[in-house]
Order: sequence, then structure tokens, then C-alpha cells
Amino acid sequence: MPPQSQSSSTSPARFQGQSQGGSEPPAEDDEPRLQLLKPDPGGYDEMLLPDGTARPHYSAYQDWLRSKSADWMERQRAQVDLIFRRTGITFSVYGDETGTERLIPSDVVPRVIDAEEWGRLELGLIQRVKAINRFLSDIYHKQDILRAGLIPADQILVNQQYQVAMVGVKVPHQTYAHIVGVDLVRHKDGDFYVLEDNLRVPSGVSYMLSNRKMMMRLFPDLFQKHAVRPVEHYPGMLLDTLISASSQDRPTVVLLTPGPYNSAYFEHAFLAQQMGVELVEGRDLFVEDGFVYMRTTSGRQRVDVIYRRIDDVFLDPLAFRPDSVLGVPGLLAAYRLGNVVISNAIGTGVADDKSIYPYVPDMIRFYLGEEPLLKNVPTWQCRKPQDLAYVLAHLPELVVKEVHGAGGYGMLVGPTSSSEEVARFREVLTARPEGYIAQPTLSLSTCPTFVEEGVAPRHLDLRPFVLTGREIRIVPGGLTRVALRKGSLVVNSSQGGGTKDTWVVDH
Amino acid sequence: MLSRVASHLYWMARYLERAENMARILDVGQLLALVSRGEDSEATAIEPLVITDTLEDFDATGRARTPAEVACYLAWDALHASSIFNCLHGSRENARAVRADITTEMWEDINNTWLQLLQKRHQDHQPADNAFFEWVKERSHLFRGITFSTIRRDQPYHFIRLGTFIERADNTARILSVKQSTLGTGRTGNEITDYYRLSAVLRSVSAFEAYRDTYREGVEELRVAELLIVDPTLPRSLRFCFDQIVRALALLPGATAKPARRLAATMLANLQFADIEEIYSQGYRAFLERFLAETAQLGQALHEAYLEPK
Repeated sequence: MPPQSQSSSTSPARFQGQSQGGSEPPAEDDEPRLQLLKPDPGGYDEMLLPDGTARPHYSAYQDWLRSKSADWMERQRAQVDLIFRRTGITFSVYGDETGTERLIPSDVVPRVIDAEEWGRLELGLIQRVKAINRFLSDIYHKQDILRAGLIPADQILVNQQYQVAMVGVKVPHQTYAHIVGVDLVRHKDGDFYVLEDNLRVPSGVSYMLSNRKMMMRLFPDLFQKHAVRPVEHYPGMLLDTLISASSQDRPTVVLLTPGPYNSAYFEHAFLAQQMGVELVEGRDLFVEDGFVYMRTTSGRQRVDVIYRRIDDVFLDPLAFRPDSVLGVPGLLAAYRLGNVVISNAIGTGVADDKSIYPYVPDMIRFYLGEEPLLKNVPTWQCRKPQDLAYVLAHLPELVVKEVHGAGGYGMLVGPTSSSEEVARFREVLTARPEGYIAQPTLSLSTCPTFVEEGVAPRHLDLRPFVLTGREIRIVPGGLTRVALRKGSLVVNSSQGGGTKDTWVVDH
Repeated sequence: MLSRVASHLYWMARYLERAENMARILDVGQLLALVSRGEDSEATAIEPLVITDTLEDFDATGRARTPAEVACYLAWDALHASSIFNCLHGSRENARAVRADITTEMWEDINNTWLQLLQKRHQDHQPADNAFFEWVKERSHLFRGITFSTIRRDQPYHFIRLGTFIERADNTARILSVKQSTLGTGRTGNEITDYYRLSAVLRSVSAFEAYRDTYREGVEELRVAELLIVDPTLPRSLRFCFDQIVRALALLPGATAKPARRLAATMLANLQFADIEEIYSQGYRAFLERFLAETAQLGQALHEAYLEPK
């Protein structure tokens, strides 16, 4: 006999709007349909052509979207918040004593990439990351590229991201950057450009995974209609990558986090849990006789691979910043002996420095003898007098970035800035030109996004995660970040950005 | 399991238990203050401070020795490490550090407790009355219940149990030792006061009904001590606490824990085969002092074995 329960008062109406197997629920017919706003005529929209019809890989989705009401979509959006809070994929705010974590808004409209186009992107990404790893190995050993005169030696050797401690150190398989998050944007010319290569501790992959999980829960019928390539195997691929980075047979892998007060802590905890490895803090580890151990309730346990989510300078107080309490004293020494693998390697930051970025196409030609498949954004290096002169003359139309900046801080977006802000940057640039680069303001592509005014175009970028183990692998798609404010070009979560599920579809 | 994680879980449980015990002591103390008068009243007022060994710290704040000031200090003072406020904060911070190792329900509950506590603090008048103490107890009961019904019976659970029962054993022994010293070896000569004092002891550890059921007679000091020290069924007796401690230790890795296990087993054996008349004739006070010292020693041994191994 089934357990007794209160008689259900749930009326069938409660389930209205949840389409099943593609047949549309009749009750929706009375509700007003979603408004699909037209994209900006001068720009590139991921879904819509200038006449408002959908691009081929988006047409099935557009049909589906047109059958939905605004109210129904709003209910789905509210579900997203709830699911995200439950899963605990949140973003903690520094200095908030209540411990309430902020959600990064996740949009219900996916960003869809055609499989053929993805195939081209994938080749370009693999080529780029391969060259970057060759470059890192080169500058810490033979320095061929400096001798060839392709990059001014001082730009590498006195770069604050260049780690002298890494010179001559052998890293397994000459792989420095195991995990790279490449930021791509699409310009109005329809081409993708690389905005930056994140080689230190790229984050955001947990949003990619949660967005997919959430979309599959909310819109199972969409996944029946589309052949969306899966991303759920990312944690497994990451673990494979980390394991293959070690020369041990069955290495013990750990994820090193700065701790619960770090804004990305939930991603750290999430990935550790998904990979089934220990989530450790610096104080859990110690070095003895050149080996790294963790303290466990069953005694010490040797650690072979450290997937660190801590910047270089905090890793070892004996070698870098002596006031760091996040790191492990003696870690660098153990690393140099080859007794532990650190991923990404120490000193990778020199290759994603914005002053080195302009040289990546040259690296590809130099190391691989190939033409770059992905475009770089034209970049003026303010350290060069003629570049600086151009930049100062064209400030209101340029984007100016700090060479070591990140997270959308310390930058000037000329066209959307006030004349005071432009004037202030002019002073800063004149005083310290070597600290800045400038680029033309790209008109990032847009994608329809569910916002208050309806489904409206918003600017976005794309961060695929490139893993280098025995081979280079990328889960299809990556993280799409979207600027939720109308017209804004800044997609960073710290600046009011959201995310979208990213689909690579075969059709 | 990482030692740091074990340590967070252990202290999460200890702090919560400490907050609950503090609420119990203060709650009963206020009740007692209502029936004591004259010279007794100051002694009654400061008793919670004597139990928690914080009389000196309290006097240093310049507060008056009144029940209200004492309650306010022990419940809310931010500078007092074991105030209810700081204990709940400590418990929540430890839980926060190991969110991935406890269940979502546990985390949400302890976080909710903290958020509610902050709201109470922001009121004009920070409550330190019966309703507040009931709230603290309720939150503690709720968390324990959620823990019991959601977490796997694995290392995390055993460390939580260790924290709870070490803290509880320490607390029960402290209450007994202070009540003993205020009662003295003899009587106050006032049967009514004695009755209230002894029943206060029982109520502070939720043992009044248990006493009635067990002895079915008037409240006698010796019997109260017997119930709280050697009774194997009362969840706050020393014997019960050590049963739980020894069981938890048996389920944890043993490689580094020989000293802790030996000490816990010896202490349990002493309680199992104890005779209350014998304890009294040989010195009740010395017995409790030794017990408190050994409990502290056990805590230290656990740190060396599991929580902060060298």
C-alpha cells in the first residue's frame, strides 16, 4: 500500500506552459508572445540577420522562442535563480559579513555556435595554445625568440610576470599552461578576434557547467530538437589532463584554493568535488625532504599534482611574497626538483601580459611555421612613442587597458566615457605610458537576451577552456559572458555581466 | 580526510554545543535569581561566570555584578571569546570553511541561525532573556537533528560527534563542580533554597524528569551527582558523553591516535565502574577537577592525532 498523503489540491493549470515533447500547451495562446527586438543594423547579431530572420543554426530555436509568452519565460528565469542558489554556484562578495553570496545572472536564451564555425575556432585555439606553450618553454630555456629579435628582450626579461626562478627548470612534457581560457569576441565584420589569453588561473568553467545543467532541466524539449554537443565531461577531462601532467603512475592530485573568502571559492569546491580530489589550502600542505605532503586524519599523504587557483606570488613565502599565508613554504624548491607538478606552471603569466599579446601571431609563425588562424586585435603599445602619440590623439574612440589589469578594472572605453574620464586617462598615460596598451573599440557581437524590455540584443564574448595534456582538447563551446546593460561592452561579472549557456550544434 | 577539514567540523560542533550550554546556564541562572535574596543574590548572579571561568574578565569590563549584566556579557559581548554571539559565529565560520563536506541542509541551517542572530543584534535592545535562550537551544537542537538525518556515517560525522560530546562532558563537569562549591559539603540550612539550587542543576542539563523517573524521591545532592556522572542513559551525563567519544574514536583511523584512544578508554572505564558514594568519600571536588583536566588533555591528544598533526 502506498504511504498516505494529503489529498493533492494541485490543479492541472499549475503545469500550464511546460511544453512536453514539442506540442505547445493550448493555454498559452491567450498570453502575449515574447517580443523579439531587432538587432542594431550596423552590428553583428549571433541569432538574427539584419532583416530579423534567424541564421540557419538558430532557426529552430527562434521558432520555439516565438511560441513562448513573456510570463512563461519569466517563470523559467525565476527558476534559474532558485536552481543556482541551491547548487551553490555563487560568487561571494568581499567584506560581506552576512555571507550572502551574489548570483551571476544566467540568461535563459542560449548562445548557439554552428558546428562548422566551431571546428575552425577549435583549430585556431589549438594552434595558439600550442605556440604559447612553445614560447614559455623557449623563454625559460634557450630564448631563441629573443635572439631572433622578434620580441625585445627587455620586454620579457624585466617583465614582472617573468619568473627568474623558472629559468632552466624542466617541466614535464614542456607543458606550462595546462588550462587556458582564451577570450574571444566577434566583431561586426563577422570574424572572431582573440581579446586575451588567460594563462594564470582562468575561472568561470563552473558557470559553463551549471548553465548547461540548468538549461537541460528547464528546457528538455529544446535538447531533443537540437544536437547540442555535450560539455559535462569537462571535470573528467581536466582530471585526465592533470594526471597526464605527472610522470607518476597514479598521481595524487589536489586543488589548491586561497580559501572560502576567495570570490571563486565555489568554483574551486565544485571542481574538486566533481573531480573527486581533495580541496586543500596552503596550510594543509607541507614540504619535507623535497616532497610535498598533505596532512590527513590518517597521517601524511604525498601530493604529486597541484592544480593551483592561487597566483604565482602567493605560492611559496620562501620564494615569493614572504607575507603570503596562502602558500606552502618550500614548494618552489620541491617543484624545481621535479617532485611535484604545479598546474599551470609558475611563470606562465608572462605570456598573457597585455604587452606580450601583440606578439602571439609572431610566435605562431616562429614556432610552428604556420599562419595564425585566429585574429589578434590591432594593439598600440603605449611604450612606443609613435604608438603613444596616436593613442593620445584618438583617445575618445579607443579602449585603453592596463598591461597587468584584469576583471574590467582600470580600463577606459573611449566612446562611452565622459570627457573628464578621458582627460584623466590622458594624464595617466602621459605619466606612465609603459603601463598601458590601446585597441580600437570593437563592436562586440550581440545575442538576443531575456531582459526587462523583452528579448533584446546584448553584447557578449566567449571563453573556451583549452586543456593541454597528452593532446590539446577543448569541450565544445565554453563560457559566454554577456553585458546585461543595454549598449555596454563590459562583460565582467564584477561589472554587471551575466552568462549564457553556449551550444555548439550540428545541423 | 584532510586534518583541517576534521578540525573545522570538530570546532563547528564544539562551538554550537558551547552556545547551547551557555544559554542553558544563563536561563537557569535567571530563574534562580528570582528566588534568591540578600547575600545570596550576588553569588547567584555571578555563578555563570564562575562556571565558565570568566569572572575576572567580566569584572575587568567594569560591568555591575547583576544577573542582567552577566547575561548580557555572556550572551553578546564581542570581546568575550565564548559569548553566545561569538560561539555561534565560530560555529558558522567553521561550517562555511567546509561547506563541501557537510550537507546543504546543514549549511543552510547554521547560516540561517547566524543571519537571525545578526538581526537580533541589530535590535535596540539585545535580548538576553528566556525567549532568547530558548531560541539558542532550539537552533542547536535543529542543527543536531538535521545533522543526524542528513549526513553520511563517515569521518565527518564522527568528528562532529567528538566535538559535541567533549564540549558537553566539559560543561556538565563544570556545572557540577561549581554547584558543589556553592553548596559546600553541608547544607545552607534552607531546604527550599537547596531544592531550587539542585533542581536548577538538573534543569540546566534537561535532567529534571530523568531524575524523577530514576529516583522517585526528593532531590538529593548525592543522587543528582550520581545521575549526571555515572548514568549511562542520560544524554548529558559524563558517562554517556564518554560512551559516545569512545565509539566515535573506534570508527576513526587509528594510526596516529593511540594516546587519545587510551585516555578516552581509561576515562570511560573510570566512569563505568564508578560508585558515587566512593567518589564522595574520596573527594568529590578532586574527582571533578581531575576529570576536567583529563578532558582538556584528551582534547589536546585529538589535536595531535587528527586536527593539527605535526
